Amino acid sequence: MITLLLALALLWPFGVMGHAVWLAYRAPESQRDYFSVLWLSAAWPSLLLAYVGEAQWTMDAWMLGGEWELNSLSRPWLAFTALLWSLAAVHARGYFAAEQAQAQRGDQDAQRRLLRLALLWPLTLLGNVLLIIAQDIASFYLGFAVMTFAAYALVVHTGTQEARLGAKAYLILAVLGEGLILGGFLWSAGAADTLMLQGVRESIVSAEHGVWMAALLCLGFGVKAGVIGLHVWLPLAHPAAPAPASAVLSGVMIKAGLLGWISVLPLGHAQVSGALAQFGHWMLVAGLAAAFAAAVYGVFQRHPKAVLAYSSISQMGMMTALVAMGLVAPDVWPLLWPGLVLFAAHHALAKGSLFMGTSISEHLPRWPQPLIWALLALPGISLAGAIGAGLVSKWGVKAPLYEMHHESLIKLLSWAAVGTAALVSAALWRQWQQRHQGGSNREQWGAWLVAVIAALLTPLWLPLPAGSIEMPPLKEWLGIMWPFPVGVLFAAVGWLVTRPLTGKTLPAGDLWWFYAFVVGSVLVPIRAFGHCCGRLKSASVVTTQKAEETLMGHLTRLLSGESWLRHHTSGLMMMLAVLLAALLMWEGQR
Amino acid sequence: MIASFDAIEVLLALCLTGSAFVCLFDRHLIRACCFFVVFAVSMVLAWWQLGAPWLAAAELLLGVMLTSPCFFYALGHLSPGASAPLKRDQFSEPWSRVAMRVVLALVWFVMVGAAIRFVIADMVYSPAEHPLLLAGVLIAATALAAFALHRHLFRRLLAFNLLGSGVFILLSGVAGSSAAAQALISVGLLVAWLGSMLGALLIRQLMHLEGVEALGRDGEPKESTT
Amino acid sequence: MIWRFGLFDSTFAPLATTHWALLVALVFPLLLGVLGALFPPKRAFPVALASLPVLASGVMLLSAFDQSGLLSWQWEIAGLILSLRLNGLSVLLLLTTQCIGVAAALYTPGYLRLSETGPLARWLWPLMGVVLSALSLIWLATDLLTLYIALELMGLAAVGMLMLSGKAPALLAGMRYLLLALVGSLTYLLGIALILGHWGRLDLQGLAKVIEPGPVAWFAAALIGAGLALKAALFPLHAWLTPVHENAWTPVSALHAGLVIKASLFMLLQLWSILLPDTFYAPRVIAWLGLLAIVWGGLLAWRTDSLKTLVASSTVAQLGYLMVAFPLLLGPDIAPLPRALAWEGFWLQLVGHAFAKAAMFMAAGNLILATGEHTLKGLAGTSRRLPLSLLVFGIASITLMGLPPSSGFTAKWMLLQAMIITQQWWAVAALLTGTLLTAAYVFRMFRYSFDETAPRHRYQPLAPGMDLIALTLALIAFALGLLAHFPLELMHGGSP
Repeated sequence: MITLLLALALLWPFGVMGHAVWLAYRAPESQRDYFSVLWLSAAWPSLLLAYVGEAQWTMDAWMLGGEWELNSLSRPWLAFTALLWSLAAVHARGYFAAEQAQAQRGDQDAQRRLLRLALLWPLTLLGNVLLIIAQDIASFYLGFAVMTFAAYALVVHTGTQEARLGAKAYLILAVLGEGLILGGFLWSAGAADTLMLQGVRESIVSAEHGVWMAALLCLGFGVKAGVIGLHVWLPLAHPAAPAPASAVLSGVMIKAGLLGWISVLPLGHAQVSGALAQFGHWMLVAGLAAAFAAAVYGVFQRHPKAVLAYSSISQMGMMTALVAMGLVAPDVWPLLWPGLVLFAAHHALAKGSLFMGTSISEHLPRWPQPLIWALLALPGISLAGAIGAGLVSKWGVKAPLYEMHHESLIKLLSWAAVGTAALVSAALWRQWQQRHQGGSNREQWGAWLVAVIAALLTPLWLPLPAGSIEMPPLKEWLGIMWPFPVGVLFAAVGWLVTRPLTGKTLPAGDLWWFYAFVVGSVLVPIRAFGHCCGRLKSASVVTTQKAEETLMGHLTRLLSGESWLRHHTSGLMMMLAVLLAALLMWEGQR
Repeated sequence: MIASFDAIEVLLALCLTGSAFVCLFDRHLIRACCFFVVFAVSMVLAWWQLGAPWLAAAELLLGVMLTSPCFFYALGHLSPGASAPLKRDQFSEPWSRVAMRVVLALVWFVMVGAAIRFVIADMVYSPAEHPLLLAGVLIAATALAAFALHRHLFRRLLAFNLLGSGVFILLSGVAGSSAAAQALISVGLLVAWLGSMLGALLIRQLMHLEGVEALGRDGEPKESTT
Repeated sequence: MIWRFGLFDSTFAPLATTHWALLVALVFPLLLGVLGALFPPKRAFPVALASLPVLASGVMLLSAFDQSGLLSWQWEIAGLILSLRLNGLSVLLLLTTQCIGVAAALYTPGYLRLSETGPLARWLWPLMGVVLSALSLIWLATDLLTLYIALELMGLAAVGMLMLSGKAPALLAGMRYLLLALVGSLTYLLGIALILGHWGRLDLQGLAKVIEPGPVAWFAAALIGAGLALKAALFPLHAWLTPVHENAWTPVSALHAGLVIKASLFMLLQLWSILLPDTFYAPRVIAWLGLLAIVWGGLLAWRTDSLKTLVASSTVAQLGYLMVAFPLLLGPDIAPLPRALAWEGFWLQLVGHAFAKAAMFMAAGNLILATGEHTLKGLAGTSRRLPLSLLVFGIASITLMGLPPSSGFTAKWMLLQAMIITQQWWAVAALLTGTLLTAAYVFRMFRYSFDETAPRHRYQPLAPGMDLIALTLALIAFALGLLAHFPLELMHGGSP
């Protein structure tokens, strides 16, 4: 039964894609519904699968031997992933309604764009689901790569200048990341002679250069997870992508990087070597640095989606720090990971609803304004940890840290939450500034509302192990909630202070421009060298052609010797006879 | 008795050599042809003299009565009207080529002579006792050189015939008149006649198709481009 | 070395049926040729019917050799001794001759029907018959008189065949060939005269026993060598070959390039192994000339504009391979293994080349007939319209290039092995250069034929079977490499 459901979950997206193709070639233009109910249902079997129960599959025929599993980690992960994909799909139906109408009127360009999206959206989903359930390297990598490259279509959808820049940044970094991941997998799998992720974890612990394998894999997944330095695609891609695409990108796809870390790093392993612990420290520092720096840089962004992207970087920085704790202090990990999963799930839904909210604020429905803005603010407040699921998830990670006496980290995380609060208030402020009336429809706000509710109630529906998450005791509430008002205050003060400075705002993508400059200046001599080579090549071609001509001329003249030979054949025969006779006599006389 | 025989042989040898030379090197083609008849008749006598009447008869039939008319036919004297008869060889050769051929002829003369000296031991002491053999060597070497020298197809054909006769004299000189030698010579004579006939036909056809110039166009570049 | 030609030790007398088979093999081609002149066949099937007894005689001789080994015949007529022998090599060459001869004969009716051949066409049949009979005689004969008669017959008939097209260039080239062939035979005859004068006999068995190295043997060898080299178109004396083929009819070219020039080479090797069993330099001179032949022929074929010249020049180069093997076959102090390898490689190359070259000439003839163009440029667009002819050309080229698994490859591999064992590195270099040049001219031809830009208006349709005959020959050449043990077993000749 569960196996059937698994097959359905993996094959259903293919069916959806097939339907999209059939639609594009068979259905008349005016009746093409790219976002039919079938298309919306792409993620539903997966969602169902997450709630059926735990299971394990071993398939020797699949690639290098497949091993898939639904365990206590992958079930909640699959649950929030599939839920967000479903909601984003519904939201997309509303979001693209105008474009679809345009396509039905016969706009070739819109048709092409929508077809691309309708085809690659289920493929991206498929990759995401596969990587969650995979326990062997080949399936995991296949899923990761499929998701990464198919998502290019989601980013580039509108085809504008910004979208193409964002997609370019995304693709460059994705390729870099894929290369690093592949290198790390090949190295570790080769060292331990294994094809399973479990083997990779053991290989990293036991191998001599385990820390380097870990570094390769961490950086590779870090591209997706937005580790500081490799995060630059996020603020470039998100503002340009359509809102539902941003929601899944920021909500679940960057979580794939996190899952990659959890899958390959020997977190909580008793014999973690000193070097790996050191590596964990570096990771911790990088995570916290991302959490703070993204907050500081992000509040000055203009575009609400850019602000939200920086918020994602900041949140992922916190999660990075928590993952790093698994290396630094292995004994805390068994207690910590359910909190981390809850944190991730809550962030996924909250960030998803925030990104969907940006499309709501651009097409405000005719509701009472305060209600709308309160609803828009709710997931943000929750994300800062002040209410609902945010509160629970904060406590879920704080409690184990308290227990193991890591108070300094807790303090730092609290201050990072201040940054989060500042960022979400800045995002809301930008949304307020750029609001538009009208044009929304049922699917759009319906999906958004469900996402908001799901975000606030995350612990209730997430299939985590029983008893791993509990409500914070009342006396701790203040300790968790205080960053939110402080953050809002900071944002307000900051806005007041910087209002007189009406210069250019900081560009989204921060380090991207620096990288681009560095690469550009490196490319200058390379390009010059290339030109030089090109000139050399054309010169040598000319020389060779001349040489060939001369040579052929000589050859032709030489071959005209044939007619001389023809003319003198009989004389040559006489000479040959004389030569042979003389030679034989000479040899005989010796 | 012996001396008189010798005298006849020497006379025959001189006659053969002389007519062969005229035949090979006279540019006037009809005269060369006439001398070929003289040469063939001398050959008949020489075979008779060498004690091979069968060969004499073959030579008379094949050489005098069949091959010579072939030449006159090739010159255009037996079937008048078709195209203008050939008169003279107009092609000239550079000096270097002539000198080279002379050297080759001498070397060949020496080589064949040396070879015969090894076959017949007493040639060393009295070469004059075999005047016909000497004439054969001389004719063979000269004819081959002339064959290599001339461009005119008709003259090459003549040279080939003389070369054949020279080789036949040599053959009978070194091998006597054994059955094998006679068989070889008869086959050779037959082949020479067939070849001459074929050559004569070809020359007429070429004259008919392309004119006199074609006869000297051996190995020139323009021919290879056709 | 000389024992390999099977001149000695025949143990069994030939049976009556074998006598008849021999008679059919030698005389039937001639008779059929005369019949063909009287009633020129218009279709291929009467030719096929008529050639059956000839092929059957070849197979019977093969089985006779299989059963009783070496066979010999001897007749004495008016003091002359004529002798024949049948060993494995003669059987192999005889079968090759019959196969190629029958293929050429089958090809002829279609060819004559499609091309404007004129009134001389009926003469082709008797001439072809004479050539085939004379060739069979050469492979079998073991006395110098028979060899001389057969050589002259073959030479005159070949000249006649080559000139049948009657065009002025063909006549000119034929005239040159006629004169040179006749002079070549006379030079050969001069050498025979020395042998006859000194040892007084013409049978090869007897000569092989009595001949000792000495000035007479050397002079005779030099004269015979020069004369036969001229007739076999060995390197500096090859220049008459290309114009002759340029203007000849296709089946004639196939016969001539495949077999006729090989006959002179066969005689050369046989006589030299009697006269010069232990000389060092003369075979090397031939080999060096062979080296030049490979390069020169390859270059000629590479640079030429005419398809038939390409095929004919490639013959010059391929003969070079055979010449390069001379020092491995003749000469003092050659170890038995390289000598055996060289022997087998030599004949396999000869036979393989005969088939491949005949096929190639037929393919080229088909292309020329269909397109009406003689130049390589005229081949443009044939890849689509005449793929079968090009395929035949390609398969034949594989053999010429010596790519595995063709007979060319096996033969060159054996020669290469022998050369490496005897450390003749220059010969190895020649072999490899030749392969490269062959590839160069073959691919040049194919490049023209795959040019699709030139629009072709009209193709003459070919008669059925013309491509198939060529394909069969090409496939035989190809398969001889895979089934090389059959010819190799035959080549062992008598017993050592």
